[in-house]
Amino acid sequence: MTYMKSLLAASALIVLSTNVNAETIGPGGESATPSSQVVVSDDLVDTIRGMGLSAAFLWHAQADFTVAVTQGATDEFTRLGIEVVAETNANFDAATQRSDVETTMAKEPNIMLTLPLDPVTSAAAFAEARDAGVSITFLSNVPDGYVQGQDYAAIVTDDLFQMGKQAADALAAAMRETGTVGWIYHDAEFYVTNQRDNAFKTTIENNYPNMSIVSEQGISDPARAEDIANAMLLQNPDLGGVYVTWAGPAEGVLAALRANGNTTTKIVTLDLSEPIALDMVRGGNVVAIVGDEAYELGRAMAASAVLHLMDQEVPPFIVAPALTVTADNVIEGWKKSLNIDAPESLSSN
Amino acid sequence: MTKPINAIKSLDLQRSVIYFGFLGIFLFFAVILYDDGFLTSRNLTNIVLQTAPATIMAIGLVFALSAGEIDLSFGSIVAVSALSAAMAMQSGPMMLGVAAGLGAGILIGAFNGVLVAYLRLPSFLVTLATMGLFAGVARTMTDLRSISVLNDTFAGIFGSGKLFGVPSLVIWTIIAVVIGHITYRNTRFGAHVLAVGDNARAAQVSGIKVPRVRLMVLMLCGATAGLAGLLYAGRLQAAKYTLGESDLMTVIAAVIVGGTALNGGKGSIIGALLGSLMMGMLNNGLILMGLQVSDQMIVRGLIILLAVAISLRDVRR
Repeated sequence: MTYMKSLLAASALIVLSTNVNAETIGPGGESATPSSQVVVSDDLVDTIRGMGLSAAFLWHAQADFTVAVTQGATDEFTRLGIEVVAETNANFDAATQRSDVETTMAKEPNIMLTLPLDPVTSAAAFAEARDAGVSITFLSNVPDGYVQGQDYAAIVTDDLFQMGKQAADALAAAMRETGTVGWIYHDAEFYVTNQRDNAFKTTIENNYPNMSIVSEQGISDPARAEDIANAMLLQNPDLGGVYVTWAGPAEGVLAALRANGNTTTKIVTLDLSEPIALDMVRGGNVVAIVGDEAYELGRAMAASAVLHLMDQEVPPFIVAPALTVTADNVIEGWKKSLNIDAPESLSSN
Repeated sequence: MTKPINAIKSLDLQRSVIYFGFLGIFLFFAVILYDDGFLTSRNLTNIVLQTAPATIMAIGLVFALSAGEIDLSFGSIVAVSALSAAMAMQSGPMMLGVAAGLGAGILIGAFNGVLVAYLRLPSFLVTLATMGLFAGVARTMTDLRSISVLNDTFAGIFGSGKLFGVPSLVIWTIIAVVIGHITYRNTRFGAHVLAVGDNARAAQVSGIKVPRVRLMVLMLCGATAGLAGLLYAGRLQAAKYTLGESDLMTVIAAVIVGGTALNGGKGSIIGALLGSLMMGMLNNGLILMGLQVSDQMIVRGLIILLAVAISLRDVRR
């Protein structure tokens, strides 16, 4: 339980997770504004284009997700005539993120889109950009002590509670709301995964009385997912379903089920991945993947930072919708989430 | 007439590559990024600040490699030291934090050293194991939480402060390099380290206490990693279990490119400093060039590969 306590203590943002009507809310209790409501109107475009603005992306990692967010933001910046002058990847390292901020500041960007790695270490890391008046939009997290409107434009995030909840709903539907569940959660202090994982657990516990989580395993190294799944299956051979914190370790869990000849245990996971989706369209163990609208999230980040720079009203806490992808809607879901066509392997199966 | 030719022929390519490489990369970025802020004093200072912890870790590693040993655990030591310091300062004075951070580093180094020097276990395997062991300890210490450093004096001395206009991280780098270089080149200990790395049996016969030297170099690695942990904690005004995790390959590359032999008996503190600055300059310049992250990784990897290949050419011969 110390793990749960630390999550609650450390997170700057809070998801109310104890009742069935829970939703993602902001650090000061702000209610979420849908990303579709954050738009730079056409009548501002010419003015913005004449300002010669520049922007930088300071990401935490590199993945399909960040590529889609970057693309969404880049397309919005292109529409507004804003030049992207730098892009960095901190590889989840707080010291690297601080260096990235310092280095990028040499290019004097007007806008910074970024994911602060954690509230504590990021406070000093972004101070230079904040003090220089850069319009910063944070993705999913916020440094301690930063005030919206004064220090940053907005926080934009996935509807994290909905992602976890929709994963629980999808697994429950596949299991006919009955049976035992394994919960493989991300064993690290990372806001996004922590909140999604907890939302799944809360939903199963509160909404599905005939389902029970019988095994809980933390994972910090995705390469160990197969070992963890093997141990879980050994102790619970009749496991009805497994929730896996994201698609990378889900691939290891799938490998473990295949190696055991297990065709009955259902898998639900988060974030799109081709091998996982392929198993799903072939009628394998995977029953659903809950994704996010990453491209839309990037667009909303860019729009909120620009609106802040133009002294327009910006909602403090903006969420992009969650998206449940099943075998029936994988092609459309892929396009909607990442703004790229689904891999050919999925459409040919 | 033959003397100059012989001198050119005997030019130690392994030692020189870092100077040419450093200068070449600097000039390349200076020209390409002339209008993009690369040559500003703020940006050049940033490079030194950003590489300070890696430079200090590299100094410890030069001693270990020169003695024929290696330390792969220093990244984990950084995290344990930073967290120890931050936790100690939550309820205690700054000096307690400094003692806890440095003490943790030295103790872990001594632990590695005893296993290597007196139980004769290979340092590669010992420190590979302790790298994982202490990465786990760092995670357990705070249940994965980050710890704030609220002591402003500490943050000034080890992070963002200045003395006579010179950033404290630059001062730490200079102090460490000067002490490291003098110890390495001009002291009996430095000579013993090189002798052990060159031929441990001959060193033993000539009266050098080889196990003691091995213990000392690994303790020194622990101490420099401990100091790096303090610098990270001061710079971020916080400590986290991930600190130092990504430094292993950077520091090893900096040391090898800087002319230190992987198999012992040869090294350079100044080379390690330039190697570390070169790594920082590469990160900095490639970002300022506006390259996408994937392209930055490819270019950085190719340049490091080229530099290491040239550096190790003499060793292979």
